[in-house]
Amino acid sequence: MERILRDKKAITIFVAPAFLLFTLILFIPILQVVYYSLCDYNALTKPEFVGIKNYIDLFTADATMRTALKNSIFFMIFSAVTQQIFGLLLAVILTNIKKGRNFFKNIYYLPCVLSSAALGLLWAFMFNPKMGLNQILDFFGIKGPLWLSSTSGFVTLPMWVIAFVALWQYLGQTMMLYMAQITGISPELYEASYIDGTSRAKAFRFITLPLIKPMLITTLSLNCIGSLKFFDLVYNMTQGGPNHTTEVLATHLYNQGFKYSKYGYASAISIVLLGLCLIVTFIINKTIKAEVYEA
Amino acid sequence: MEMSKSIKRNKAISPVKAILYMILILLALIYLLPLLWMLMVSVKTNSEVLTSPFSLPEVLQLGNYIFAWTNGNLGTASLNSLIVCGISLVISLLIGSMAAFAIARMKWKLANPAMSYFLIGMMVPVHCVLIPLFVRFSGLHLTNSLVGLIIPYTTLSLPMTIFLMVGFFKGMPKEMFEATCIDGCSIYGCFTKIALPLAKNGLFVAGLMTFVGNWNELLLAMVFISDPAKKTLPVTLTYFVGPYAVNYVQMFAAIIIAIAPTIVVYCIFSNQIVDGLTAGAVKG
Repeated sequence: MERILRDKKAITIFVAPAFLLFTLILFIPILQVVYYSLCDYNALTKPEFVGIKNYIDLFTADATMRTALKNSIFFMIFSAVTQQIFGLLLAVILTNIKKGRNFFKNIYYLPCVLSSAALGLLWAFMFNPKMGLNQILDFFGIKGPLWLSSTSGFVTLPMWVIAFVALWQYLGQTMMLYMAQITGISPELYEASYIDGTSRAKAFRFITLPLIKPMLITTLSLNCIGSLKFFDLVYNMTQGGPNHTTEVLATHLYNQGFKYSKYGYASAISIVLLGLCLIVTFIINKTIKAEVYEA
Repeated sequence: MEMSKSIKRNKAISPVKAILYMILILLALIYLLPLLWMLMVSVKTNSEVLTSPFSLPEVLQLGNYIFAWTNGNLGTASLNSLIVCGISLVISLLIGSMAAFAIARMKWKLANPAMSYFLIGMMVPVHCVLIPLFVRFSGLHLTNSLVGLIIPYTTLSLPMTIFLMVGFFKGMPKEMFEATCIDGCSIYGCFTKIALPLAKNGLFVAGLMTFVGNWNELLLAMVFISDPAKKTLPVTLTYFVGPYAVNYVQMFAAIIIAIAPTIVVYCIFSNQIVDGLTAGAVKG
């Protein structure tokens, strides 16, 4: 038995395909992207080392990058806050009703499995100046705003609209994760506390909240990293326009890299994106893990 | 908020409960109405959409679907998506569970470092490898080919698959493998005849996450594929994007063709799908 489980040849055969694929397609490209980000490199030339020039340009001379960074961070904060509040609220409501629980749960989760490219087009219609939502508002005699082409404000109206659509699409996921965690809490804990005369609000505060804390890390990481990576909805709803005001990191990267073929510059953007993802994951894990309770 | 745990249980619906149900129904409408509206628009004419938005169409414009199907290349796109996602699914499940089996059940010093190495992949956004991969793949003439999508899709699905499968393999009783080995079964037999069939649930969950993720993936496919004959479904839909997209009826017909299979499958298996994806995300 021992001998069979230590069979070096078998281990190699089992691990090698995944290891090779992973190294060639994911790991080496990450190292390459770090190198490219330090190069002047476009589709026609060979990469030429220029140090941190791309990063300096990115943060000093690129107005679109500032917008993209602002929008991505807005996205992250908005979706983290709203997803946590509404996701948890829905989970608590749904775990406490019996009739129709699965029905509602499945409806709210539906957009999570649909293509956000398709849903982006649908919502682009809903927020069209002449169609969709504005037709409803028109019906009541209200003149609807230009949802997706307004450019005023620090965070422009189209960004709020896209952030709302993202919330609409992914709320089901946060809700489901919290539901899974809440249904895992032993009912005896609640019964004991009710016998002791605890109010429902207090039971929620002192039993439910502490026990779902591990899920806070998972959902918050998913919300934050998901929104930093955001591309499909923005691309299909506004394409970063009007005048680059709805650009996010991923669309900026896509445009620089594949519309203008500035590979080196776009690599620097992807490093910024990767850095943000790592920092956010690190902060979430460090600040929350400190007080995880034994379930 | 702990309604069902409430000590007094009235037969009549309490006002709080009524309000909760109102909220839930209202929210369900916010989820369903846009989809239904899309369905309605897809069988109208463009002028009907503008002049009489809320009425049913005078004639069902099924021609929209025919136009979307032929001009949008949806048949080819669906087939491409199916090929790419199907093959990626099979390969990533196979080599992912092979690696997971070695990490979870076999004894070697580097098992834990190998696991950490694969887990790094879960944190890396696909955006970061886009440029080097594109450069490499154009050199190898793998852009504009389905193989060029299958390789990265398989790889990007590996971390999650390995992570889930390690959990499942570790949860299996040791005695089962010992008994099989004593009976003279090789380690490969152990894997294919015992471990894989027993990890059916794990394979289902991992496969579901892989398939849904790849089926909807847009960015990579958009960068790698420019030949209309090789485009996948999400990329095909971007034809309709842009300030000049006024042809909503046909666009919606195309979207409905594109998402209808997912919705049908979802309606049939919704409980398994929701639970499976949740289990995947919980462990991830």
